Amino acid sequence: MRGRKKMSQKRNNSGQILLIVAFIMASLLLSAQLYIFEVGKITGEMESDSLNDFLLATKLGSRHVVIGSLANISNGGQSSNLAGNLQRWSSLISKQYQFGKSVLTYTLKDTTPYSSGIWTFWGANGIGVSSAYANFTYKLSDREVDVDQSYFMNITSTVFIESSYQTLSGDTKQVNVTINVFNEENTALAKQITIYYKLLDSWQIPNATNSYTISDYGNGTYIASFAANIPSLNVEVSAHIVDQRGIYVKANATSIQI
Amino acid sequence: MFDQKGQIRIIEAFLAIAVIFSVLLISGTFPSSPNLDRQKSLANLGTQALIKLDTNGTLGNLILQENWTAMKRSLDILLPIGVSFNLTIYDENLRPINSQAIQNSNLLSREAVSVQYVCAAQNLDVQFFVLRLQLAWTR
Repeated sequence: MRGRKKMSQKRNNSGQILLIVAFIMASLLLSAQLYIFEVGKITGEMESDSLNDFLLATKLGSRHVVIGSLANISNGGQSSNLAGNLQRWSSLISKQYQFGKSVLTYTLKDTTPYSSGIWTFWGANGIGVSSAYANFTYKLSDREVDVDQSYFMNITSTVFIESSYQTLSGDTKQVNVTINVFNEENTALAKQITIYYKLLDSWQIPNATNSYTISDYGNGTYIASFAANIPSLNVEVSAHIVDQRGIYVKANATSIQI
Repeated sequence: MFDQKGQIRIIEAFLAIAVIFSVLLISGTFPSSPNLDRQKSLANLGTQALIKLDTNGTLGNLILQENWTAMKRSLDILLPIGVSFNLTIYDENLRPINSQAIQNSNLLSREAVSVQYVCAAQNLDVQFFVLRLQLAWTR
């Protein structure tokens, strides 16, 4: 009799057990779904990739700023333009990174021969240099990373010229000028080359009447030739170059008689 | 008495089924977690394309020349087929400067990622630009 009663009570409770099991299953399903959703939101790796790209873009931009500033200064701009442009760049970069605090600082090279990050040497010995040099420090801190990276930008346009002449007749001389253009340590192409020769005390530009020709060897070497009436045996020439980056550099040389 | 018990059990069974189904329905309404791998690769592709354009100063030059057609063509070449993009260029003071849309198709109703890029032009004035490139997979 007692056994029967127990049995019927068990049967009476079986529906409630079913409900409890259903609730347990429901909570398991919900928690599993929540876990999958949360795991999908992990973004650590994404941040590190975007950080590397941001650093690369910052370095590229710093390079462009130094090149543009040197182009400006070598073409007659004020030497303070480099500092001014870098200040604007630093300020813009510091505002850009969204995931943390970023600070870009710079110092201009001030050791000889540089002054305020700029060195221009447009010599009479066949060598001309226009150069800018700046050191950068980039600091970034966010939830997951701390970056403290230093780099420098040395932008240098150099021109080497050599000249020779031979007397054709009387004062008429055939002058050849060989020009080699370099960006940093690599040969580079010029955007514009203007050759001058000194007649009495003024500089003259040879033109078609001087049978002026210039050959481009495609590797940063150019040979200019012209014939001119130059009474002096001391033939001075000058090459004014604007390279592909817009940086101006010039060099003077004394032509050697052959 | 037995009939009533049977009805109660049926109701309890229905309740249990209802609980399970309602949970399934609720979990179905959860926003699906975005496919971050795909989005990450898309953002990387966009940034790499801009970096490639910027390496030799082309990016800044195209902006200075306001050559939006060439800009679109360059991105068409640098980004893989199947990627839609929309590029907006701002000046230093965050005013948009591209007079025409630089995009290959409409990004509406697609899951898009946005890439921000700061660019300095190598001109004598040294101008700065902020680029916002939005990207989405076509399929």
